[in-house]
Amino acid sequence: MAGNKGRGRASFTFNIEAIGFARGEKLPDVVLKPPPLYPDTDYKPVPLKADEAEEYMLALKQEFRATMKRTPYFMDTEEEKQEIERYSKRYLKSYKDDDLEWVPDWRRLPREMMPRKKLTKGPKRQRTKGTAKVPATLMSTVDVLKKIEDLEKKGDEEKSDEETDEKEGGKGKRKDDDDEEDEAADEQEEYDEEEQEEENDYINSYFEDGDDFGAESDDNMDEATY
Amino acid sequence: MTQAEIKLCSLLLQEHFGEIVDKIGTHLIRTGSQPLRAIVHGTGTSLDQVKKALCVLIQHNLVTYQIHKRGIVEYEAHCSRILRILRYPRYIYTAKTLYSDTGELIVEELLLNGKMTMSAVVKKVADRLTETMEDGKTMDYAEVSSTFCRLADTHFVQRCPLVPDPPESAEAQPPPPAPTLSINEKDMYLVPKLNLIGKGKRRRSSDDDAAGEPRPKRPKQTAESKEPMPDDGIYWQANLDRFHQHFRDQSIVNAVANRMDQTSSEIVRTMLRMSEITTSSGAPFTQPLSSNEIFRSLPVGYNISKQVLDQYLTLLADDPLEFVGKSGDSGGGMYVINLHKALASLAMATLESIVQERFGSRCARIFRLVLRKKHLEQKQVEDFAMIPAKEAKDMLYKLLSENLISLQEIPKTPDHAPSRTFYLYTVNSLSAARMLLRRCYKSIANLIERRQFETRENKRLLEKSQRVEAILASMQATGAEEAQLQEIEEMITAPERQQLESLKRNVNKWVPLVLPQLLARSFGRFLGGMGDQRSYIFQAL
Repeated sequence: MAGNKGRGRASFTFNIEAIGFARGEKLPDVVLKPPPLYPDTDYKPVPLKADEAEEYMLALKQEFRATMKRTPYFMDTEEEKQEIERYSKRYLKSYKDDDLEWVPDWRRLPREMMPRKKLTKGPKRQRTKGTAKVPATLMSTVDVLKKIEDLEKKGDEEKSDEETDEKEGGKGKRKDDDDEEDEAADEQEEYDEEEQEEENDYINSYFEDGDDFGAESDDNMDEATY
Repeated sequence: MTQAEIKLCSLLLQEHFGEIVDKIGTHLIRTGSQPLRAIVHGTGTSLDQVKKALCVLIQHNLVTYQIHKRGIVEYEAHCSRILRILRYPRYIYTAKTLYSDTGELIVEELLLNGKMTMSAVVKKVADRLTETMEDGKTMDYAEVSSTFCRLADTHFVQRCPLVPDPPESAEAQPPPPAPTLSINEKDMYLVPKLNLIGKGKRRRSSDDDAAGEPRPKRPKQTAESKEPMPDDGIYWQANLDRFHQHFRDQSIVNAVANRMDQTSSEIVRTMLRMSEITTSSGAPFTQPLSSNEIFRSLPVGYNISKQVLDQYLTLLADDPLEFVGKSGDSGGGMYVINLHKALASLAMATLESIVQERFGSRCARIFRLVLRKKHLEQKQVEDFAMIPAKEAKDMLYKLLSENLISLQEIPKTPDHAPSRTFYLYTVNSLSAARMLLRRCYKSIANLIERRQFETRENKRLLEKSQRVEAILASMQATGAEEAQLQEIEEMITAPERQQLESLKRNVNKWVPLVLPQLLARSFGRFLGGMGDQRSYIFQAL
């Protein structure tokens, strides 16, 4: 030990020849940086198993993930609303399956999970609209196309032409209304969050009930359908 | 719970349930069990979203709740359960191999929805099967429910714990803040008596009734669902432990087949099948089976005499790996399968093969040497491995720095002076296996991230191809001419097409499914074999 001292080499408490350094050999430099992100490998990895079963499971996995995205369980952050609806977006909307409405079995869940009637109204309305809107616009284009076809057949019946005009006008108006309502709902939601802390919300609910939900009010509002 | 596991859980939740659920779920994993208000506060998400996300997580059995004192309900996420999402395709595929398409769809629906009532499953599966069938043919409900019963009989699906019936004196005391779910062991696999009559319905997808049909149909459907089904409230879920048991049995059978021959593997398969339901999934041994019983249960096509069977059994019991053990002499000899031992050997074999593939055969020789001899000094390693001392040191240190081999100091004197200390190299197989398992999780997470990155980078291209496909489909539906279709198809240029192809190939490659499969499973098994690490087995599988 003591013999190592003063010979230009750091002093070790043990014989460094035991760990494979010959007498007089230089020690490796001290490494001060982290190891590389993609270190070289000495041996090539074995290729993946690729038989029919694996292929099938791979397909299953991709399909499962895609299906999950369409189920009501998938909660994405709501996209920022774009002022102009992009044409390209129209074909991308993967609208959720209509028949896949999910009503949780409230008997199995803690009571606090159950949305209180008033609280759910704000966001709920938005949600139904969010999903209902896409098919609606698609629907309306289909409707209009149909109408135009009809018109072509009928030729010069001006009466029906006026009708469509009216209808379309009406639709545009309704949409505007919807937008306004959305904003109102937004405000309402924020307001609600503050309110819910204090739990004295009867007066608000009084006003809330007077609100008209427009065309979508026919579905069941008592339970939150996700 | 390591960072790698949390990261992977978060990615899995995000891919399957969206950003919000991911946020809530990851928060719960990090913090442990928490009450609702703390979750809202901790994640900065609105109360409604938290509630909905928790509902989703509870529905999929990823989160459970518990009532604490003073009536506070706490929610807890189960990381190991979330990691099992990785294995869903495997469960579904297993169901397909065992119970054909019907079984596949039943398990798939259960996994997609977390839990469902039997009537809902049967209806949905019948509808889906009908859709794939030729025109005019339909799937009968009865057929689907018989497959469901078979799945329940073999324990592949099980009942979820039930909500207890409300007591008569409900008014006297306020209801608890959360129901206490419980289930009787006996009822777990009891299929409710249902007479589901009907056939799968085809979804009307053709264009002519797209505008008019669904509207009037809607109210009818809701009216239908209004009246409760007789099995209302009895939910079913896929029994993942049973699937794991099946995987375990299969790899034991494969191992025996590789070691001896087809016939002996068939015998082991028979033994495992006989004890499938009687042995719990964590038991170290199967129930003892007499050779007469085994002889009777051999598959019909297998023509071996009782004598040959006895010879095989003796041979299996004498095998140094001890997959099969002899537990008694009555009834022509009682035999058991030593499950834990089998798993441990399989896992050790995997560990050795990993060292071999990553560091070469000479490192593997050193590794095996240390494994067999338990504790070795450096000098002994160099001598026994018959590798030049300098290289042997190099390899040994490499394995040590990768944590595959550990170092044990035994000082001769209390001052721990290096010159008077033994340095013994040893393999701590449990920690080595755990480390490799963690590394698997890490690489899966990396692969998922890589795939997401690649998809993001090529978003425009993917969107374009999607759009063109949508336009093509709509044109085809309206009966467009061939030339028109071709024109649209050409909207994607050749180089773009090429890029898409390569992207698809790469993304496929990165879909992490195959790589960790073998590793994760064997380690889990191995850990399972180590006795008290039972819970670990399920995490890895």
